[in-house]
Amino acid sequence: MKQLALTAACVAAVLSLSACKIVKTGGDTDKAPAADASGDDARIAALMTETWEPKLIPAITERALTPAALRTALAGGLEAAGTAHGKAGSGVGAAWNFAIAGEGTVTAAKLDTRARVLDVDTDGDGTADLTLQLGPVVKGSALRDFSPFYDFSGFRDQIEFAKLGRALNDAASARLTVPEGDPTGKTVSFTGVLALKSPTETWLVTPISVEVMP
Amino acid sequence: MNLKRRLLVSTVALAFAGALPSFAAAEGTIAIITPSHDNPFFKAEADGAAAKAVELGYEAMILVHDDDANKQSQLFDSAIAAGVKAIILDNAGADASVAAVQKAKDAGIPSFLIDREITSTGVAVSQIVSNNYQGAQLGAEEFVRLMGEGGEYAELLGRESDTNAGIRSQGYHDVIDQYPDMKMVAQQTANWSQTEAYTVMESMLQANPGIKGVISGNDTMAMGAWAALEAAGRTDVIVVGFDGSNDVRDSIAKGGIKATVLQPAFAQAQMAVMQADQFLKTGATGLEEKQLMDCVLITADNAAKLETFALAE
Repeated sequence: MKQLALTAACVAAVLSLSACKIVKTGGDTDKAPAADASGDDARIAALMTETWEPKLIPAITERALTPAALRTALAGGLEAAGTAHGKAGSGVGAAWNFAIAGEGTVTAAKLDTRARVLDVDTDGDGTADLTLQLGPVVKGSALRDFSPFYDFSGFRDQIEFAKLGRALNDAASARLTVPEGDPTGKTVSFTGVLALKSPTETWLVTPISVEVMP
Repeated sequence: MNLKRRLLVSTVALAFAGALPSFAAAEGTIAIITPSHDNPFFKAEADGAAAKAVELGYEAMILVHDDDANKQSQLFDSAIAAGVKAIILDNAGADASVAAVQKAKDAGIPSFLIDREITSTGVAVSQIVSNNYQGAQLGAEEFVRLMGEGGEYAELLGRESDTNAGIRSQGYHDVIDQYPDMKMVAQQTANWSQTEAYTVMESMLQANPGIKGVISGNDTMAMGAWAALEAAGRTDVIVVGFDGSNDVRDSIAKGGIKATVLQPAFAQAQMAVMQADQFLKTGATGLEEKQLMDCVLITADNAAKLETFALAE
């Protein structure tokens, strides 16, 4: 937990650092960032400062279901589960996004890649039922799409919207401590978000915290 | 050439103007304007929109602008003169198309855009576009996985005036550039064209024989590249496309091209017509102007379920 707070502080420091940079290069601090792509980084950084720690982290923590509770909810259909506990992404065919928090046993770890993952068994049947993404490459945009305060129509275009998704993924993976050595067989606790397009697909979780127990 | 084109357009307009009174369906006519049907993607759009229009009691007027903004402008004039009720448009340039759509709006004709965005909002009623960025990320993730996270690769870019060319390229690089062992040795436009891609791929291969993969901005260019690779005996090269065409589906099934990303073109065009119908009947679509549709990764696992830019459940 202490470590988590420390990482959080680091992230905050990084965020405020990048904000400093904007002041330096942009000159006038009162000036709004340019509406075109040249202002994207400044706007996304400001939005991150405004929402990431103060809003998104608490929203995920508060709304997180246990894996068992999510499974039960999904048994009644994805649409019903999503309406009750999740948030749909923007547009037609977009996934339902859920927050999840729980514990499980690591059944496999793939750490020799840029997209590091842990496969985790949360129902004790010996087979993995979700995958935790440890980054630095994180797939999907579940963090962005879970959040009720990011709306596609408020963005210039899909590129700016995608940049926010990437910034959130980067901020999340920057918080994580990647386990040293092979964590297979160990207990892991996690909090994060996942996107589902069908109730039966594999759960790919973008965590905001992962702790492998010794 | 120019005169010939103009003549052709006026003939088309005349034909429609003349045809309208006798053909006029109960609900009037919907114009469907897309790039050339030489690319099956645009044909699927036109077919999807036309089928839905007819189903809803409209007459369909199908026109192609060949990615020429001037021609597009003339087609808008023709459609306006013909008194169409609404226009479904896959446009000929994000900036250049704003004026044409505005012209229709001023004439009281609502436009519903598919596939490509324009740079202004409040001019078209709807802009329903595939989430090209999300799709490109899916394609790139698969490409990187197939490449074993490293090696030399080339990128084929689409037509520069088309916003989707840039969006896809950015989406690709958003993912690929996070892998330091992935080395882009060539990047060139082939203007969405199969024949151009063939030539470009030939020269890329000569200059960079160590190429291990090619990521392409669309399927027609991927087909051109694959043909060049086959001719050079380099079927070991990993090719990933974008669009989800039947040609690439068949290539995937034969173990040629490895993956593509489906844009639901058929469904998207049908949705645009449904929104036009809703707007004409109620004065509103009840939806945001800008609407994203997610893309789907197509690999050997699900290619068999793909048909004419639609994936079976």
